[in-house]
Amino acid sequence: MRYVLPLTDPVLATRSICVTLSGLRILDDVSIGIPEGTVTGLIGPNGAGKTTVFNVISGFVKPDSGEIRVDGRKLKHIHPHRLTELGIARTLQGVGLFPSLTALENVMLGGSSRVKSGIIAQALAMPWTDTEQADLRERALAIMTELGVESDAGRMPGELPYPIQKRVALARALVSDPKILLLDEPAGGISAGDMADLARLIMSWVPKRTVLLVEHHMELVMEVCDLIWVLDAGKVISAGTPEVVRQDPAVLAAYLGQEGAA
Amino acid sequence: MTSFIDYLIGGVSNGAVIALMAIALVLIWRATRVVNFAQVGQAMFTTFVALTVQTVTGSWVLALAVAMVAGAILGVIVQFLVLRPMRRADTSGAIIATFGVLIALQAAVGMIWGGDAQAYPQPFDNAGIVAFGRIWPISVYDLVVIGVTILLVVALSLLFTRTSIGLAMRASAFNPEVARLSGVRVSRVLTFGWALAGVVGAVAGVLVAPSSTVSPTTFDILLVFAFTAAVIGGLDSLVGAVALGVFAGLVISLVSGLSNSGNAPVVALILLALSLITKPDGVFGHHKARAV
Amino acid sequence: MTSLLRFPGGRLVGHAAFVIIIWFLIMRLNDSVDPLANYYIALVAMYATAMFGMVILVGLSGQVSLGNGALMAVGGYVFAVTSLHWQTVPILGVPWNGWWSMAFAAVGGIVVGLLIGGIAARLRGPYLAGLTLGLAVGVPAIANRFPELLGGESGLMITVPYPDGGYAPVEEEVFVDGTVEGQSGDASSVAVPSAEATVSPDDMLTLDNFPAADASAAAPSVDASVSPDDMLTLDNFPAADASAAAPSVDASSGDLGATDLSGAGDLIDAGFIIERWQAGLAITVACIAAFIALNLVRGRQGRVWRAVRDDSIAAAVSGISPAKAKVSAFAVSSLFAALAGAVFAQILSYVGPGAFGLGLSLSLLVGVVLGGRSSLLGAVIGGLLLVWLPEFVLSLAERGGWEDQITNNAPNLIYGLLVVLVVLLAPGGIVGSVQLLISKVTRRAPKGV
Repeated sequence: MRYVLPLTDPVLATRSICVTLSGLRILDDVSIGIPEGTVTGLIGPNGAGKTTVFNVISGFVKPDSGEIRVDGRKLKHIHPHRLTELGIARTLQGVGLFPSLTALENVMLGGSSRVKSGIIAQALAMPWTDTEQADLRERALAIMTELGVESDAGRMPGELPYPIQKRVALARALVSDPKILLLDEPAGGISAGDMADLARLIMSWVPKRTVLLVEHHMELVMEVCDLIWVLDAGKVISAGTPEVVRQDPAVLAAYLGQEGAA
Repeated sequence: MTSFIDYLIGGVSNGAVIALMAIALVLIWRATRVVNFAQVGQAMFTTFVALTVQTVTGSWVLALAVAMVAGAILGVIVQFLVLRPMRRADTSGAIIATFGVLIALQAAVGMIWGGDAQAYPQPFDNAGIVAFGRIWPISVYDLVVIGVTILLVVALSLLFTRTSIGLAMRASAFNPEVARLSGVRVSRVLTFGWALAGVVGAVAGVLVAPSSTVSPTTFDILLVFAFTAAVIGGLDSLVGAVALGVFAGLVISLVSGLSNSGNAPVVALILLALSLITKPDGVFGHHKARAV
Repeated sequence: MTSLLRFPGGRLVGHAAFVIIIWFLIMRLNDSVDPLANYYIALVAMYATAMFGMVILVGLSGQVSLGNGALMAVGGYVFAVTSLHWQTVPILGVPWNGWWSMAFAAVGGIVVGLLIGGIAARLRGPYLAGLTLGLAVGVPAIANRFPELLGGESGLMITVPYPDGGYAPVEEEVFVDGTVEGQSGDASSVAVPSAEATVSPDDMLTLDNFPAADASAAAPSVDASVSPDDMLTLDNFPAADASAAAPSVDASSGDLGATDLSGAGDLIDAGFIIERWQAGLAITVACIAAFIALNLVRGRQGRVWRAVRDDSIAAAVSGISPAKAKVSAFAVSSLFAALAGAVFAQILSYVGPGAFGLGLSLSLLVGVVLGGRSSLLGAVIGGLLLVWLPEFVLSLAERGGWEDQITNNAPNLIYGLLVVLVVLLAPGGIVGSVQLLISKVTRRAPKGV
């Protein structure tokens, strides 16, 4: 996907986001944009504020100032659970599956925003609630098949190997058919082979979906991203294609600085 | 106006007892992140132990001392029962376990000492002190209650600020991992916290007993008041527990005095609900950002 | 079976059929046993109704509540007050009958549940438990605040069901007949006090001199007379005391028939056994509640509640509003609590602050934890346990010649210790443990609870 910096019409953008938590400035005037139909990476050393950007976008953290725009429209009062209605889905660091529900039930819940029937209809088991759930179930199974985890549909998350759990979590995010997908460290804790699969998978979603990726594994980021934003200590220090970012001395300094400190 | 002030003064000793019970709740919350709803059951048990000792020996001080020891032992036992579900991260289970202990302790008290309300002998003069040409709504006994409470609060604050065990307790509450790495034997420190809370609760029980009768469930209402005080204070704050405990005592005394003592639970409920609506983490508590 | 339920309407038909069969079987059982057994059945059904709500609230949505006894009080008092004061239904103007009071009790429960749930949804574990503890202690005290409307400490006697066995008054003048009062006072197991009786202080029956309580031979009501709040076990319930002395209840029902035949009690139909009627009501209400609970628990809503309990952040990310889910759990559970409270009021023919105290809330918690926190079947088993254990202890006590002091407190001691043991060793309660056992035997992983 082609894009030109500065971005003219990003599908998702943050404008001058500032976040302070317990007296610490976590994000300082962060403005990033995600062009439609791209895989955009958000990288930076530990504590740079990457996940906080995700949390601001998904409404878990309220910024002190700044705004979020989706399709050019400013979002007011973001509620995490309304995000999928806007066509945005996210995964959580680690796995974040519901341990007491089967893999399939987990994935089905990802489509909650599609469920229209209320609690009274559910309480009386009205036939259309069954239809609704049957549709959702079919969708969930289709996505699980796409990700190669359909055979684990009936298993509990605790019984599944970690990479499979991550797949199921990914399926849960996909089942709402999001336009924008926020992936928080999808490659965390998985093997090199699985990582190659993951890269293929992510690239297969664009340009239909737009992906924002927070990831530590540089190989993955460099392989799949069209555009990369680099955060350090809550500030944007660089942006551009993987090649540009790789050669940016500021980025190098940020990562080396951390290595030196560690 | 006179009666208003009288009720306020009279409420202080009430408040002192609520504050002590609130401290016991806060001590355990800080140590183990559990609200020990069994605390009043423990206090009731130790109060009956004290009643027995006092009936036999006639010594109030000895009775108090025995109750404190019993309180410490009970505290350690209850901790043992609650820790396991906590380790499983079953917070509902831990809360339920404390209620199980409360039910069992109340039944045990009923079995051993009977379910009837019993009078606890008044160890000091309970008549209003006469001075400056009027009768004050405060007795020698009230002064003892207030005095013991102040003593205990001062002792606790010295313990926390001046002693190594106090420092270890604070460290373990603040960050158990770091404390463990710096050589603190966290589990022992936590157990000490439970024992300490048991002692404080036992003192509260013995102090409050003479002002009413004692029966297995007399202290239920004290639990609600103490919890209200502890929660409004922020559950983490000893200062908050003391301040709000005394405040709760004053409010209850005013409400009971000016209207009807049966209204006190309703007032506690309203206070609790209001404080939880406006500030779910307490007035003195620090709001921590949730990790996502 | 499971796949059949997946067709549109499959759950509706399946659950309805299941509940109707159960209802039919228990009603048959109810008709074939003696009034004492009817009374036990009524209590079990009443507890089960309330504990279906506890399963949803405590087990599935993970909110430990001690307030459900207070929510039962809401249902009981709404039922009592509306049935005492209404001749016709306000606004609609149609003649009143008991179902209207049941409906209003249900609505009252939902409204209060939404209110409390709105506060509770913001609170984490211990804060919530403490708030509901405040409710359990504070709400019954409200009755004292409004003695004229709510009867104060001594409570209200209620007139439902009517002596002919119906929910609607048959003839107006029947209920102002002074002689009826006297008659009914003698027939201990039938509560036929007129509306006047509840107002006149002489007839105002407190817990201690509740007619059925007098019938008790064992009279283990020491606690009840001291503080009505500590009624955790059935022993302390006035009516339960009566039942402890089984023969006396039987005899009184027998008397009833006899009186009727002799023509003295012309209001009492020969075939009408009030315990049977009460049990029938309790069973019907429990089955309605079970139908709703099954639909919710074994459907999307159940998954939503468990998801929010497991991980509220992951739930939010999935498009579920954790606050809404928690409030809905509260509303449903207080609907059930209110229905159970209205049934309880009719079983006792009485509402009072003592009957709905902290002890009731605690016993609901005990029942649901022992039966199985996350299982509707567990709620039924918990209800059976709450009714059976005190009777079992009593029979042991009679055989062993225990002192009253021991006998009265033994059930609570056992409950308390069992609760601690279950939490420590078998968090799933009876049902959870059996499921675990089965899954171990069949080498299958347990299905999520």
